Amino acid sequence: MENQVIYLCEDTPDGIFSAIYDAWAAGIPEERMSIQVERLHAMQLFTDYVYVQTDLDKAVKVARSIKGKISKEVYDMIYCASLSFEEDKIDAIYHFLKLGFRYGGQVIQMHGEDAVCRVFELKRNVWNETHSFREFVRFHDSKEGILISRIRPKNQVLPMLAHHFSDRFPEENFVILDEVHEMGVFHERGKQWYLAPLESTVLDRIWSHKASEEYEKLWKVFFRTIAIKERENYRCQRNLCALRYRDYMLEFH
Amino acid sequence: MVITEDLSIEEKLTILTDAAKYDVACTSSGVDRKGKAGGMGNTAACGICHSFAADGRCISLLKILYTNECIYDCKYCINRISNDTQRTSFTPDEICELTMQFYRRNYIEGLFLSSGIRKNPTSTMEEIYIALYRLREIHHFNGYIHVKAIPGADSGIIERIGYLADRMSTNLELPTAAGLQEMAPNKTRKIILAPMKQIQRGIGERNRSGIHRIGAGRKNDRAIGKEPLTGNTGTDKKVRQDGWGLEPLPSAREKERKDMLLYHGSQDLLMEQEDNRQIILPSSDHKNFVPAGQSTQMIVGATQENDYQILTVAQALYHKYDMKRVFYSAYVALNEDSKLPALGTKPPLLREHRLYQADWLLRFYGFTAEELLTEDRPNFNVYLDPKCEWALRHLEYFPVEINQATYQMLLRIPGIGVKSARRIIMARKSARLDFDNLKRIGVVLKRAHYFITCNGKMMYQTKIDEDYITRRILELDRRKNWELDYNVTFRQLSLFDDMDVSGILT
Repeated sequence: MENQVIYLCEDTPDGIFSAIYDAWAAGIPEERMSIQVERLHAMQLFTDYVYVQTDLDKAVKVARSIKGKISKEVYDMIYCASLSFEEDKIDAIYHFLKLGFRYGGQVIQMHGEDAVCRVFELKRNVWNETHSFREFVRFHDSKEGILISRIRPKNQVLPMLAHHFSDRFPEENFVILDEVHEMGVFHERGKQWYLAPLESTVLDRIWSHKASEEYEKLWKVFFRTIAIKERENYRCQRNLCALRYRDYMLEFH
Repeated sequence: MVITEDLSIEEKLTILTDAAKYDVACTSSGVDRKGKAGGMGNTAACGICHSFAADGRCISLLKILYTNECIYDCKYCINRISNDTQRTSFTPDEICELTMQFYRRNYIEGLFLSSGIRKNPTSTMEEIYIALYRLREIHHFNGYIHVKAIPGADSGIIERIGYLADRMSTNLELPTAAGLQEMAPNKTRKIILAPMKQIQRGIGERNRSGIHRIGAGRKNDRAIGKEPLTGNTGTDKKVRQDGWGLEPLPSAREKERKDMLLYHGSQDLLMEQEDNRQIILPSSDHKNFVPAGQSTQMIVGATQENDYQILTVAQALYHKYDMKRVFYSAYVALNEDSKLPALGTKPPLLREHRLYQADWLLRFYGFTAEELLTEDRPNFNVYLDPKCEWALRHLEYFPVEINQATYQMLLRIPGIGVKSARRIIMARKSARLDFDNLKRIGVVLKRAHYFITCNGKMMYQTKIDEDYITRRILELDRRKNWELDYNVTFRQLSLFDDMDVSGILT
């Protein structure tokens, strides 16, 4: 019996696309092949490990052929799913792409296929969390006039958030810190945003620049006053704004 | 009336938020607009909530009054002239500053500005115009603005504001003209309908002139009274014979519906307003007239109107005024008046919830008000959602075969929503679906399984029997209804409502 082969890659869209490129080129049957994120993986016996070097050229090639041979819609979906925190995400994406290259853009409608359903679930989960943070991110002003915020997401939602907020605040300097994945997104007025890995000490140092001020007080006043006492319903409030999002929402503190 | 000028911004915010909180339409939806260099803000058609208050209602917009001074004396309103409360007003600059500073911290999606009537409707709207103009032109605010049209204001000022706002709304307040007359002596139905008609026309002009085609006034994104989405969702003509297709479609009953509406005294909603005012196109930057459309709201439970009257009026508003939304607001007993429910009466929250559910059925599921309620049964059952109630009274259509049913019929199955119905239509092109597929598609099987078959089989051995299914579904919903209706006295009252004797209790 031949050994199982496991590809280990960096947990970024580029890393994942590089691994898909390598695995595809090697052509090992899907039953005895898996692609895992390096950070999460516990080693096991009777397995050959291949460490994938993140390679921008390969990643771009994969992205280009998905867009060209399947569809832009599928590419967006895969990109979003690749930000998921779930361990099986890359295998699901790999199987989904195999179907995609066979059936083209209509793969997106094949809800009867496990891999298609799974990628949908992953995408939905990442998208929903992104949407929640579009709602619940709170920026604090700083002396330097930079807006600073901090989040604790399950998925790597930063690139999706950066897309939203850079369109919304083109004239603002802002930072969003992701303490779980130790990353930050930086936007300088009028320029393109970028992502950077941050050690937790650096992250905390940036966070310490936030100033508390008048508008935070006014926001709390508004938040308290707008509720109708006769309709109080904390369960409903919790369903719509889960406790895990509230760590950095000032109105709850 | 005590008018206080020299209050701090915090005190003003407290007073003018408190006075605005009973208005419901805090949505930021209906228009997609990209950000632009030099400005601040964008909008998302889906709308974005930013927080949820202690009452579980979403906070999307900075919802405030321009002033809580008011010359009117509407019985149900906290700001009526006869109430002895502290009165104050914002200045336009204070409104701009609050909006901009809240917005850049991502607290809000924009501004929702309403107002009491200070001298007269026109001068109040002119003051509002100044605030909005500064916000758009000086602060370059590109986020969402929802503003109330004050009935009785001059059409010129309503039009100018329409070019600065994303959404406008005029409150219908009460579903019947008689109710309005009793509760709001300074308003008449005609005065309320005038700005609605004007805004609708303005939106229509815009769309016809071809300069802009934003969602407003566009009907094809929902399913009111039409056969919904036949072509593009893959409805199969052959299959239609055994399903919903043979029934007269809702739109075939147009005449019948008109008759009903006339009967219920909403004929003024159906008549064309006399209005020869022209829309003058502005030369400024703001060329979109109310791009997110208009909405309205009705108070539920302050007067004696039943659900059937409320829903037929809502339906007429969607048909005749191209409303984006009709909101329902459970009356909170604030004022003492012999004609109103006594102080301390709990707001009818579950009834409000049922009306919202029925409203969705009108807008997205192809139902008509007359299918859901009739004159003999004019109120919803508070224990069952309206769609379930309909299905249980029409078991002759069930069970439905998932692999063959039309899109319209799928939409009528309890536990299947618009998204899952669309996914079913797509997915079954490439495979026959089983219950496991349905679960992954997002169908709520614990509700749907009584009404469907997959490949000829039901999920469990269940009877198609009204009492049996009703019992099982009530079991499922009991906890949820309890949570919604955490208030026991209201539940008892609403039972009496159903028997139409609630008048005796108040």
